[in-house]
Amino acid sequence: MAKRVITLNVNGTEHPVQVDATDRLIDLLRDQLNLKSVKEGCSTGDCGVCAVLVDGKLVNSCLMLAGQCDGRRVTTLEGLVDDPTMKRMQGSFIANNAAQCGFCTPAMLMASWDLARHSAEPSNEEIKVAISGILCRCTGYYQIIDSVREGCKRGEK
Amino acid sequence: MSEQASKLLDSLKVKAERGELLYIGENIVRVDSMEKVLGSPVYTGDLLPKGTVYAKLFHASVPHGIIKRMDLGMARSRPGVLGVLTSKDIPGLNESAAVLQDRQLFADPVVRSTGDILGAVIAETSPAAADAAGKIEVDYDRLPAIFDPLEALGPDAVRIHEKGNIARQMKIRKGNVEKGFADSEFILEKTYRTQFQDAAPLEPEVGLAIPEDGGVRIIGSMQSPHHTQAAVAKVLRLPPEKVRVIQAVTGGAFGPKSDETPYDVCSTAALAAVKFRRPVYCPMDREDSMIMHTKRHPFVISHKTGVSKDGMLLADESKIVGDTGAYASLGVFVIVRATFHTVGAYEVPNVKADSNLVYTNNTYTGSLRGFGGPQAVFAFESQMEELARELGMDPLEFRLKNMLVPGKKNATSAVMDASCGLSQCVEKVVTSSNYREKAARYRNQMGNVRRGLGIALLMHGNSLGPEGNDYGAVHIEVLSDGSVSVGSGLTEYGTGAISGIMQVASSVLGVPLSRFRLERPDTSKHRESGPTVASRVVVIGGNASKLAAEKLRSRIVPIAAGLLRVDPKDVAIADGVAFDQRNPSKTVQWETVVAEAYRRGVSLREDGFFMAPPAPWDQEVGQGTPYVQYTWGALIVEVEVDLGTGSYRVVGAHAAYDVGKAVNPGGVLGQIYGGTVQGLGYAMMEELLHKDGAVVNPNLGDYYVPTSMDIPDEFKAFIVEVPGPLGPFGAKIIAEPPIVLPGPAVRNAVLDATGVSVDDLPVTPEKVLMGMKLGPRARSR
Amino acid sequence: MASLELYSPTDLNDALRFMEKEGRNVTIIASGTDLLPRMRRRKVSPSVLLDISSFTEDLRYIRQTNRAIHLGALTTITDLLESPLFDGKLSIIKEAATHFGAPQVRNVATVGGNICSAASSEDLIPVFLSLDASLKLVSSRGERTVPLENFIIGKRETSIRPSEILTEISFNPPAGDSWTGYEKLGRRNILITAIVNEALSLTLEEDLHTISSARVALNRVSGKIPALAAKTNGFLEGKKISDETITEAQRVLSSELSLTSDFRGSGAYRAEVARVYLRRLIERCSKQIGGHF
Repeated sequence: MAKRVITLNVNGTEHPVQVDATDRLIDLLRDQLNLKSVKEGCSTGDCGVCAVLVDGKLVNSCLMLAGQCDGRRVTTLEGLVDDPTMKRMQGSFIANNAAQCGFCTPAMLMASWDLARHSAEPSNEEIKVAISGILCRCTGYYQIIDSVREGCKRGEK
Repeated sequence: MSEQASKLLDSLKVKAERGELLYIGENIVRVDSMEKVLGSPVYTGDLLPKGTVYAKLFHASVPHGIIKRMDLGMARSRPGVLGVLTSKDIPGLNESAAVLQDRQLFADPVVRSTGDILGAVIAETSPAAADAAGKIEVDYDRLPAIFDPLEALGPDAVRIHEKGNIARQMKIRKGNVEKGFADSEFILEKTYRTQFQDAAPLEPEVGLAIPEDGGVRIIGSMQSPHHTQAAVAKVLRLPPEKVRVIQAVTGGAFGPKSDETPYDVCSTAALAAVKFRRPVYCPMDREDSMIMHTKRHPFVISHKTGVSKDGMLLADESKIVGDTGAYASLGVFVIVRATFHTVGAYEVPNVKADSNLVYTNNTYTGSLRGFGGPQAVFAFESQMEELARELGMDPLEFRLKNMLVPGKKNATSAVMDASCGLSQCVEKVVTSSNYREKAARYRNQMGNVRRGLGIALLMHGNSLGPEGNDYGAVHIEVLSDGSVSVGSGLTEYGTGAISGIMQVASSVLGVPLSRFRLERPDTSKHRESGPTVASRVVVIGGNASKLAAEKLRSRIVPIAAGLLRVDPKDVAIADGVAFDQRNPSKTVQWETVVAEAYRRGVSLREDGFFMAPPAPWDQEVGQGTPYVQYTWGALIVEVEVDLGTGSYRVVGAHAAYDVGKAVNPGGVLGQIYGGTVQGLGYAMMEELLHKDGAVVNPNLGDYYVPTSMDIPDEFKAFIVEVPGPLGPFGAKIIAEPPIVLPGPAVRNAVLDATGVSVDDLPVTPEKVLMGMKLGPRARSR
Repeated sequence: MASLELYSPTDLNDALRFMEKEGRNVTIIASGTDLLPRMRRRKVSPSVLLDISSFTEDLRYIRQTNRAIHLGALTTITDLLESPLFDGKLSIIKEAATHFGAPQVRNVATVGGNICSAASSEDLIPVFLSLDASLKLVSSRGERTVPLENFIIGKRETSIRPSEILTEISFNPPAGDSWTGYEKLGRRNILITAIVNEALSLTLEEDLHTISSARVALNRVSGKIPALAAKTNGFLEGKKISDETITEAQRVLSSELSLTSDFRGSGAYRAEVARVYLRRLIERCSKQIGGHF
């Protein structure tokens, strides 16, 4: 297939890009747009470290063909670097030792940010569900859950 | 006294009076936290220069055979392909083996497992390389294959290696088991089995090679840069100085990244980089990794154990067989640790153990967190449970009677000293879990949902022990702006241990960790420090760091003394301020002292080197002191079982570990939580399966790693501190131990709830239900 | 995968025209959450993909008419979870959706994709079988409606024609004294292919004792094909609920099941769990209805 041009909005900027049929959204984001926070851990949609927001919903970017993304709005961690909610969440992750090897951390932050937008006081169960599609092999999840709970609280510095 | 002065005193002097140390025992912000929460491009795959091409490894499709013909023509002609590398393209030695030289980089002509790498396609893009790799055709003369290690031991078994199928043997001969059995009131013989576990770090193994200066610069995801350097140099036939290896930020490891796989990906990338004069990225995707990297050894362990009438262990005889797959890798040491831990955390006066590390045609096995400990302890803790029930004794009481305490001897006849904190660990978890009250209550349960409790105790020998010299080097340099740069061949891959050794230096120097920077481990800058394995960083690296920091301090203090105009013995440094202990308002900033040092030409670089004392033991009888100190632990798990389906969940986990001194308590807890959950995966749901030698489930959709929905409802973790003789400030290792106990604790809890003894891991709902149907407590409707 | 074509039609009619011409060689992709991993693992190698994921205006909706609920084929699992329609008697849909995949998968996976995969790993199929769902299949030549229970004819095989696209799934919520229930067993709690996946729609007569209709469906009845447990359902119809009836129904189910073993579970274990779930579902549903149990 000849390359096709699509245009998508990534982190607030319109990007016309050329994609092959086999390119996945993760390839577009990492290789063409240099957004390295998006990680590839399993290539089959089972680990979640590639998770980004597409049209406001958390999605595994390794399971979306780039060619299906024309006109969509994508948000990665890089796009939230100045967002106050994300900054609060990142601070909470640091303070609560939520990042060990760090490979799942961007995806965990995206899922947590998504939760924080909807809830200032999520229950433990709600937090676990929000991150249930992202595998972490290092932390056992507890310190991540603590981080998210604290990071969701509003009205902090 | 000024506020600052009193703060400084608080920080330093008062702490010292309380027996506390500056910054030690405090939760720190790890030096690498910021880059991780920012999603910074610091992993190998984020660092590809322009013009990088891709290598795709391809592997064997039969478990045992001789390559007759490899047809590369179609692959070579695919669009975007630069070439295909095989054994013929290796200028040096076709070897990629960690210990025994029994393995090639590219198998030729003998293939011993479907995980054997045959070569690599080099192409402009990753899809092009993968596509071409799929077009390679190989014909084999097939040989009979063995998948059961017990079969491999048989006299007529086909020889997988020339020297036969036994890669290593180990023995323990302590006391006289025959006499012990003769004195026993009761003897139990049982066999236990464990499965292949995959480490499944979220970042699979990857390597990047850039040609330069008549050699290569390699950046990769690994645990041991110097070992990788040596391996690649051998393959490329280059002097080691021409192979520079830098460890990039590594997305988890757990063992396999200290075995052959980093050599494989880095050697492949390097070969291609030199041949095609391009940067080459050789990534394994998840499937590649799960087929081609080392797994945890499955073990078959038989125990014959004798106890006295009043429940004292008298004798144990074990036959231990570890399946090392097609190649030995680190199996030669896994079998050693497993053997030394064959009776776990208990005193048994008469111990006989015979271990065999056996080749099969399964994919190969090597290092994985715990390193033989999980298998050995699963077997013996299960045996302890069975014995308690046969004797009609409470499982906790039976364990308390026999567990190691100061003065008692373990399986190698090492005498436990005052640094044994096992009983403190047990007490913590028994109290936290409300064990005694619940155990009594759970004896009379009705209905289809039942609860049960399981206990397991841990003795875990620290550091490399019997595997060789245990040493490490740490380099510290105070830069002209006062920041402190630390470098080592020891690596960080999530454990937080490197921050821990920096925390040690921070404490000695009196400078907060926020002023420290970590250098990426680099063979051109840092001394060889052995592999970052066996949880040795805090103990070995911590000591090296302490030594380097102390040497630096001894040069800095006289300079500060001069600036403060006091006697050097009155100088203290805390929070980046040097001050007169007798008059704390007299201060000078760290940066000022450093500037003065630079002005005077005083060197502010130092190397610390630490080697653990020798750990002598007799190879013939497995007796002596193979480990210089031990980490202790206890875990109680409470499960709730659905008797109708056999499925269960862990409702509570209570864990306590004696870590000697928790340098960074938050980090220690992180290791306890993470290791326990990984151990629960091993206990409940993880199983890498082979069928006719091919991996059945090399992906994370069919291989089940615990998710956030699978963790215990309640998890209480406790740090116990009984200082040990080896580590800085008495520290003991923590990175591996927490993975060991969940296997038997879960198994024993399920037994408690259902009456079903599951003797082979993982404890699946099917085994539980089918066990109930066979046993006297079958209950399904 | 290098010679893959991705065709993104401008609208549904364009897609149908394309299917009319090329249908035999075309694989439809919506979310790709089932297809892409299978392509990656080389279980399928399509050459042409037809992307219908952008037809959300036409195909993504949840509507209620007089008697029926209509789901556009592109309705996502998250849409099901967020709809107020699926509580109470239809809580089976939310229960299944809650245990489906993980959040990232639920946000894009579609009801239509689930059904057309026709695999025993697709959690919603037993649910819609128990609800006696109908499927609207559209081609450029017209449309037809097919009961789901006739649609799946083999392992990952449906009676869809090469030129057709599934556009809608509809069903009548069970009327009268009825309730639905769902059970799923896997080796971990989320992101898991079911070992056993069982759904029941139970309707009782006015006496709240006699079963007027029972529709039990499973991820596997014979081989690896999701289906209704027809013999069991036939047995239960008209019977009065009692311990003995349920025990007998379990025996009928056992005789009806012909399950193979694989690495997730043995056939014997799957059958045993299916029997246990049958009892639980009947007891639970009848209790909810206020029935005698």
